[in-house]
Amino acid sequence: MNDETIVNEDAEDDEIILAEMPDDELVEQMHDDLYDGMKEEIEEGTNILLARDWSAEKVLNVALVEGMRIVGIDFRDGILFVPEVLLAANAMKGGMAILRPLLAESGVKPIGKMVIGTVKGDIHDIGKNLVGMMLEGAGFEVFDIGINNSVEDFFAALKEHEPDILGMSALLTTTMPYMKVVIDELIAQGMRDDYIVLVGGAPLNEEFGKAVGADAYCRDAAQAAEVAPRMIKEKREAAGNG
Amino acid sequence: MSSRPRRRHGGGREAKRAARRKLPTSTAAYIDRKIPYYELLGDEALELIEHNAETVLEEIGIEFKDFPRALKLFHDAGADIKGERVRFPRGLCRSIIQASAPAEFTQHARNPKRNVVIGGKRTVLVPAYGPPFIRSLDEGRRYATIEDFRNFVKLTYMSPGLHHSGGTVCEPVDVPVNKRHFDMVYSHIKYSDKPFMGSVTAPERAQDTVDMAKIVFGDDFVEQNTVIVSLINANSPMTFDATMLGAATVYAEHNQATMISPFLIAGAMSPVTVAGTVTQILAEALAGMAYVQLVKPGVPVIFGTFAAAVSMQTGAPTFGTPEPSLVMYAAAALARRLGVPFRSGGGLCGSKLPDAQAAYESANTLVTSALAGVNFMLHTAGWLEGGLVMGYEKFIMDADQASMLAVFLAGVDLSENGQAMDALREVGPGSHFLGAKHTLANFETAFYRSPLADSNSFEQWQEEGSLDAAQRANKLWKSTLAAYEAPPLDPAIDEALLAFMDRRKAEFADREY
Ligand code: B1M
Repeated sequence: MNDETIVNEDAEDDEIILAEMPDDELVEQMHDDLYDGMKEEIEEGTNILLARDWSAEKVLNVALVEGMRIVGIDFRDGILFVPEVLLAANAMKGGMAILRPLLAESGVKPIGKMVIGTVKGDIHDIGKNLVGMMLEGAGFEVFDIGINNSVEDFFAALKEHEPDILGMSALLTTTMPYMKVVIDELIAQGMRDDYIVLVGGAPLNEEFGKAVGADAYCRDAAQAAEVAPRMIKEKREAAGNG
Repeated sequence: MSSRPRRRHGGGREAKRAARRKLPTSTAAYIDRKIPYYELLGDEALELIEHNAETVLEEIGIEFKDFPRALKLFHDAGADIKGERVRFPRGLCRSIIQASAPAEFTQHARNPKRNVVIGGKRTVLVPAYGPPFIRSLDEGRRYATIEDFRNFVKLTYMSPGLHHSGGTVCEPVDVPVNKRHFDMVYSHIKYSDKPFMGSVTAPERAQDTVDMAKIVFGDDFVEQNTVIVSLINANSPMTFDATMLGAATVYAEHNQATMISPFLIAGAMSPVTVAGTVTQILAEALAGMAYVQLVKPGVPVIFGTFAAAVSMQTGAPTFGTPEPSLVMYAAAALARRLGVPFRSGGGLCGSKLPDAQAAYESANTLVTSALAGVNFMLHTAGWLEGGLVMGYEKFIMDADQASMLAVFLAGVDLSENGQAMDALREVGPGSHFLGAKHTLANFETAFYRSPLADSNSFEQWQEEGSLDAAQRANKLWKSTLAAYEAPPLDPAIDEALLAFMDRRKAEFADREY
């Protein structure tokens, strides 16, 4: 490839003016921009669609969630790498920050909120961070309370953020039983049904998730991002306010 | 005819069958290396990394979380403390370590013949550490139990290639979390006479380990000698946490050795480049080892590291790939320049099964560890699935490799017998060596004989059931366990240990965390 071609390509990139694109092309461009992790462009695109009288809910579903669905597929298939998904999730977050207040105003239920942390005695957090990233990518508001969390830490975060989901991570067989300590305390305080509890971490399995009384065990971050919105939807439907 | 000298009776078929079938259960207590190190980098490159590591220590610093004692000791030694961040003047950690840390030390076993020397040209091979699951052909993958733990201690005891009983050879999930360490330490003492590792998951568990060792070795002996070596991981990047520091402190105060190990998944916990990762490893190891020397100057400390590369596609650790090998060569050289023993390597792999991926990834890391000059090779045998699984068959395969490493590291015999000029003269052109005197004198031990590999004819292999390596390993671990006999343990010591455990276990309730 010679220098000239490169210059030409750059010139072409520069020529994209989001505001001049018709809706369908703009949405497609936003899917690409999410894929490429371009936060500013996503924020700009979100604002343009809103200015064209799109509802916040429509922007969310058509432009953002659909774009991240494609990101999710290519992450699962090994085409996109973790740092790229991190950028994409960050771009999504930019769009969500604009939409969230509008969604609340119009009475649309947000996709969901999650508090996630690694349990007491455990400092492993790479997997938990990936889960947080994927859920942010799926449009969730994620409150990551870090590592080494006691029952008190989890309860304080639940109180402060009022999430739909409590996510717990543990990588040690010596710390994973602590998940049950947290869940038992939720039961004891009559709060168990207020939250969907998801658990994960390499030494856990389906059976363990059931045994501690979680709603689901998630084997990886991509699965967590599938399970979380589904369970929220089911819970809302069951409550008759889907 | 009667003038012919009578042959001595050799014992005939019975004796030979018994001798040839018997697997050796003991060889040297550790490996004394006779071959050179593979030096990947020259002095200039190593100096550059050392310079950069000092810059990390000086400019960025290391966090010592929730552990005021470390902050106080470092402050008194001349470091700059802001919050929990410790910044070190250039060369401070290095000089603290070099002033008092031994270049090598002996870890005593309850059987003195099994004492190991750690450091210098020695290599000690140790089974895998930490897996919560086991895998066998019979049962597949399931949570490990104390029974599995005992089995792996016994298999290690029976493996001539492994010099050390290890630590958490698998996690006995069926025993309450806060009492597991008693049963693990007891199993090492009871079912093996090789040296062992201590508990690190809480300072009081470290103390219990020391107290149990004192029952075996005597109070004074423990205070004056090293009988326990324990694994202290850094919480990379650039952080040490209270759990690990607490355990390290207990061991140091009782003169027991620790291996301070930056355990990095490059790309997630350190930069994506080899040089960047090695720089971080050196900085973290220097800070951790300096802390231990400040707690008790002169206590043995090992420069440890465990480096894997992240899968950029999933975040999972990967093993047996080239970059971590480059890291290991560089880190080993840095430890030699510092003058402390080095821990790294093992039979690492990411594979779920004892299959081809497991075999080649493990062989890659084992050979690298041997050439790099690892002194304490944790994870030599059993490791599967990135350390989540201890494999029975995989253990047997790795133990076979371990025995081979000892032969390889012994280098080339250049004695008269080794030169074999007699054999060359005797046989001359065109004949063969199988019946030569020199061959008859040497054949039994001349070549490493694998108890596991099959090199027979296709037909014989077929007649014997067409078994693959894992199936043969399955037979072997079962026959090894069946042949196991416990090394004698003074009944008074055994009783005292059991009484100590009963008393301590009764002092607090079972807890699952
Ligand atoms: C909704 O909620 C959800 C949903 C899904 C969730 C979820 C939560 N959390 C996870 N998921 C799921 O989604 C994620 C992404 O797809 C996945 O997350 P994962 O975390 O599984 O996957 C990550 C992307 C990559 N995987 C990892 O990051 C973990 C890899 C291994 C090698 C590992 C690492 C890296 C570390 N370690 Co540790 N470590 C091991 C691990 C062995 C292994 N192969 O898993 C394991 C878990 N460690 C172990 C040990 C023993 C220890 N470690 C320790 C320390 C460390 C490091 C600090 C060095 C480092 C962690 C760094 C960090 N910032 O996280 C020590 C303990 C420290 C402590 N108090 O916690 C120490 C005790 C070692 C020591 N003696 O110092 C072993 C466990 C033993 C046991 N009892 O169970 C171990 C199996 C390795 C081994 N063989 O020794 C899924 O599980």
